[in-house]
Amino acid sequence: MSFEVAKKAIDYILDNENDSNFATESVIWDFIGGEPFLEIDLIEQITNYIKSELYRRNHHWFNSYRLNFTTNGINYDNPKVQQYIKDNYTHIGITITIDGTKRKHDLNRVYKNSSRGSYDDVVKNIPLYLSQFPGASTKVTISSEDIPYIKESVLHLFSLGINEVNINCVFEDVWKDGDELLFENQLIELADEIIDNKLYEGNVCSFYNENIGKPLSTTTSDQNWCGAGMMLSIDAQGNFYPCTRFAGYSLRNKKPIIIGNIRDGINNNLLRPFLSLTRSSQSTDECINCDYAYGCAWCQGENYDAADTPTIYQRATAICKMHKARVRANNYYWNKLYRKLELEGAEKPAEKSFDINC
Amino acid sequence: MLKYLVIQLADDAASYCHYENVSKGVQFISVENLKTAIRFGMVENLNIQFIYPKRALPDGYAEIIETIDHTKIIPCAAPNSKSADIVVCNSIEEIEGYNFDKEQIVILRIYRSEVNELPRIYDLLKGKCARLNVVLRDVEKFSEGDFEDYKSLLAQLGNKVTTSLIEGGNAQLNLLTDRLVLNTMNNCNAGDEVVAIMPNGKFYPCAGFYYDNPNEDFGDLMRGVQIKKRQLFKLSYAPICRHCDAYHCRRCAWLNRKTTLEVNTPSHEQCVVAHLERNESGRILSSIREACEYEPETTIPEIDYLDPFEKRKEW
Amino acid sequence: MKKIVGQVTVEEKNEIQLLFERRNGLNELAKILTPENDALYQKLVKDMGETGTKFQQWWDGMADKYQWEGTVDGHWEINFETCEIFLVTNN
Repeated sequence: MSFEVAKKAIDYILDNENDSNFATESVIWDFIGGEPFLEIDLIEQITNYIKSELYRRNHHWFNSYRLNFTTNGINYDNPKVQQYIKDNYTHIGITITIDGTKRKHDLNRVYKNSSRGSYDDVVKNIPLYLSQFPGASTKVTISSEDIPYIKESVLHLFSLGINEVNINCVFEDVWKDGDELLFENQLIELADEIIDNKLYEGNVCSFYNENIGKPLSTTTSDQNWCGAGMMLSIDAQGNFYPCTRFAGYSLRNKKPIIIGNIRDGINNNLLRPFLSLTRSSQSTDECINCDYAYGCAWCQGENYDAADTPTIYQRATAICKMHKARVRANNYYWNKLYRKLELEGAEKPAEKSFDINC
Repeated sequence: MLKYLVIQLADDAASYCHYENVSKGVQFISVENLKTAIRFGMVENLNIQFIYPKRALPDGYAEIIETIDHTKIIPCAAPNSKSADIVVCNSIEEIEGYNFDKEQIVILRIYRSEVNELPRIYDLLKGKCARLNVVLRDVEKFSEGDFEDYKSLLAQLGNKVTTSLIEGGNAQLNLLTDRLVLNTMNNCNAGDEVVAIMPNGKFYPCAGFYYDNPNEDFGDLMRGVQIKKRQLFKLSYAPICRHCDAYHCRRCAWLNRKTTLEVNTPSHEQCVVAHLERNESGRILSSIREACEYEPETTIPEIDYLDPFEKRKEW
Repeated sequence: MKKIVGQVTVEEKNEIQLLFERRNGLNELAKILTPENDALYQKLVKDMGETGTKFQQWWDGMADKYQWEGTVDGHWEINFETCEIFLVTNN
């Protein structure tokens, strides 16, 4: 993306402060790549423009904005990156995607034109990262080949000092026969480790959530899970998407859904399907009436990409068996944990939250 | 379930709805396909509508058509338009120059720039036809200013309709009188209750989909109707429309897809236009009930929005 | 050491959170704005002074209203999630 494109996008967004699409109390400017820190000079230029324009215009977002990054962490200790962090520290959120153990991480993350994995170059930056962002979390995505490494990876991340591991299965149809059983066993073994070693005190793994796996009512719980359409994604040419998953480079089978651009603005009619979509209007009766519905997520982009026709209103169900396996392991986790605490006479652990102080 | 079968007799048959016939083709449906389509309609127990072109049909077609009870939709410029159940006019000039039969239903397809002519046309046709259906050809292009103009125009038309109804006249005008008798959605329902067979022998939700892309068919006369993601054509899968009470709205799946890319999601413009009509129907209903007894137990409550999409957080 | 010494209302918390965010925004804007951009620079300098004053006034006002426990070597902190006020001391 050129700075000119970024500038026009920012101008469009700020020019339309009162438009219903931007009538939010706060804003997150999210820099995603590829790898955003490869373009730290451009990001700095963009950030400075955002800050000064918000202020110059007396825009209400000046009092409530954040700058978010998801990075592979390799350039984290780069002096320019560090200076940028220092200059914007109170507004920055950074997630380093480290997938777990070296063998798990290097399975997917290798340097271009090389078989060398990036684990060693990332993990050396974790202490610096945690010293700057003590409550930092990481995000792990699981595909079929990753299943055998789930337990060791989560435990490894905890041991690195990353206390919050957000982890989920990919929504794409990558699952083989029997994956659900392997997955369930991994999560049960992980549950044993977490509970037997009291790792639940101070650590969170998002796989375990007390509320998931229950039926959902269409009258009281019919909302959309996915945030597509509630964000604005901008590509290097200045095209707008409801989410980056609808850009051409993210899609396998379908045409991109471009909802506008920096010159013409947003075509609100193209946003309407995203903003009015509900769980019931895109699901089959099997999903609507599923006993395990709570916590079964979807990605609107994958729904679109996998649909029989060019619609976002067809829920992809490749994740179904993995969700049900997760629910079974989750039930195991909470049953085991509560029994243990009951026998020990201890109180139920409070969910971890990170304090924000001034 | 399917209730209606639309049989398009030729590529250049009249558009009687929002879509434009953009085909350069002149192909008639083959005799074999015509017979098979009629048989399909008979065995599926469907109401059949034939859509005619302006030019005469080849020899033998008329006899085949008459083998089944049906509705004829014919452009007013066609040589056989006097035999039409529904006559299609594509302009004010066409409607002005035509001598309708009292039993005929008239479809007038006009642009938003022409709607100011409607009160005059309404007076012109009064007592001369069974019903006037107005189709806006460019509803998706309405601006905020156009909405204001349309609202004023509907108020003028509403006064005429009210007077006529109080006097006991038959004043059927789809834009304003349909909602007076409806308590549930009564839409086009293409793809759910209605399917069209085109001259190529293939099924589509309506002719508009065929003209957009003939390769996106919903089956053919050999394989039968194969509607992909059929539930998306149903009201229950339309997240905005299922909360709406503009029951007379055409809820055009083709227009939906054109403007929002989804057959189940209407554009802002379609919603506002339908609600301006709905609200004027409400005014007419109140006026009639003040003046005389009105049988249908219709209710049209006052609402504070013109686009139900704006109320989505309350659903 | 950190201990709870009181609590404010959500509305009161919102006031200080807004000032906190604004102060942070002004401080980080100050790092990139130079006197060459005279109008914006003057506005910023004035704004930083005013915001700092309002910030201190909030703490003074709340301390006066709620009579929180305090020490010479300590300071108060607020948790924006819970509206709780903490006394933080070095020992």
